[in-house]
Amino acid sequence: MSLNLDRFRQWFLAVFVGGVLIFVMAPLFVTLAMSFSDSYFVAFPPQGLTIRWYQQILTDRYFLSALALSGYLAFGSTICALLIGIPAAMALARGRFPGRTILQGIILSPLIFPELVAGLALMQVLSAAGMVDARLNLLIGYTLVAAPYVVRAVTTSLLLVDANLEDAARTLGANRFVTFWKVTLPQIAPGVAAGAVFAFMISFDNLPMALWLADSRYSPVPLMLMRQLNSVFDPSIPAMSTVIIILALSGALVVERLVGMRRAASLQP
Amino acid sequence: MLVLLLPMTLFLLLFFLLPAINLLGYSIQTQNAQGIIGAPLTLAHFAKFFTVDLYLRVLWNTLRISFWTCIYTALLAYPVAIAIVSARPTLSRVISLIVIAPLVVSVVVRAYGWQLILMAGPGGALNWLLLSIGVISEPLSLLYTPTAVVIGQVHVNLPMMVLPLAAAIGKIDPNLRDAARTLGAPWWEVFLRVTLPLSMPGLVAGVIIVFSLTAGAFVTPVVLGGPSALMLGNLIEQQIFTVFDWPFGAVISFILIFIVILLNTTLIRFVESRKFRRAQA
Repeated sequence: MSLNLDRFRQWFLAVFVGGVLIFVMAPLFVTLAMSFSDSYFVAFPPQGLTIRWYQQILTDRYFLSALALSGYLAFGSTICALLIGIPAAMALARGRFPGRTILQGIILSPLIFPELVAGLALMQVLSAAGMVDARLNLLIGYTLVAAPYVVRAVTTSLLLVDANLEDAARTLGANRFVTFWKVTLPQIAPGVAAGAVFAFMISFDNLPMALWLADSRYSPVPLMLMRQLNSVFDPSIPAMSTVIIILALSGALVVERLVGMRRAASLQP
Repeated sequence: MLVLLLPMTLFLLLFFLLPAINLLGYSIQTQNAQGIIGAPLTLAHFAKFFTVDLYLRVLWNTLRISFWTCIYTALLAYPVAIAIVSARPTLSRVISLIVIAPLVVSVVVRAYGWQLILMAGPGGALNWLLLSIGVISEPLSLLYTPTAVVIGQVHVNLPMMVLPLAAAIGKIDPNLRDAARTLGAPWWEVFLRVTLPLSMPGLVAGVIIVFSLTAGAFVTPVVLGGPSALMLGNLIEQQIFTVFDWPFGAVISFILIFIVILLNTTLIRFVESRKFRRAQA
């Protein structure tokens, strides 16, 4: 009897989880299917089979410049986030000073702070300071969002590394920089890489910041797509979406190979 | 060591803390006809928020949508988290990859995918499916309702709930479940009396993230909700870009931050409270 109940539990779990996986993948697959539809309006089921929407968007200067801008911003903000995030993570993981937990809380607080509000506040200050270059402003905003992810990923990795190895290197005469470069960095490399790829992907798809900081000349991908939704109704939108999905999922696979998506995306160490 | 913190701290101070304080300060200042913000100090903008029906309805919408998103996300996430913890390694990795990977796909794209599925008329994917297998005879109109926003938000936030739950369930000693089962408890009782209470820290962590992200959502309400499911984030955008009323935009921002911080501190205090600890022990 109890064996049967266990069987039932297993089946229930399998069917339920299967249903959730379909729920998760459904919008991505419907978008993919619609992008090949040979019709002028997006309506299910897709009609015929064509790649002309891809030909159209891959020659669309608006889409390509948005992609290029998002790529540039994601790359730039990842570099900036690494430059300020790795030293901060070192200090938080290795330092022993009063107020360390409070400071860590402040540094990680942009993770739960409503991003829409952070972006609005930033826009006000930047425009008051007379900063009108949308690309620079977007870079600052994206770095603000990406940096805490880097700090978190690197801090987590550092806590797994034996600090005694660093002390040994110092005792043997290496200075702080050499110790970091030759002893610490090789060990935390997967964490740094995961943080970097995650920061890149978050920046590539940042809408709340872009909403405030972009202007008509410089619109990153999510903002451009959002505006297109109101004015374009043919399958070029699903085609653009599919390009974005493929880029994002390739990034996810890279993270999975490096450290595992589950670890990289976890909010706790 | 402290020198290492300098760049990050300076950056946050300049581009996060000071701007946030400055913006919140606007909420009690006055904007004159030229758009300049300053004295006199006033609480009139807060009074306006809490006396106009439209704004209260948006606040209520936001709380309601965030609440139901948390409930449904948790209901979907528990079985998935249990499966990730208890399945064979390869299967577990596949499940977690499929559930977590969409996290990096643009929220705009995912909301758009749901628009295609929920679209009214026979051209929506869900209507097409249900009509062709004969479950319904008239197409449903789910799009541009609060329900559609909840569906989109559950999809967007599911990984944020699965991750902390799987981490918490993974830490539970399997012997506890086996003991309960040996003593004759049916599986649902094992869940309610062992797994659920012991995974509470994970659930709370998930609820904090999901509620905070949903309360501050912007994309899904626009793409899936339409005018009937306006949320606080959309109201902020309207006040700044359409009405140019900065103090009132600051008031709505203040209320949004207040909700998020209140939820955070209350739930964290609940997990750390002694009564709860004793109940767990």
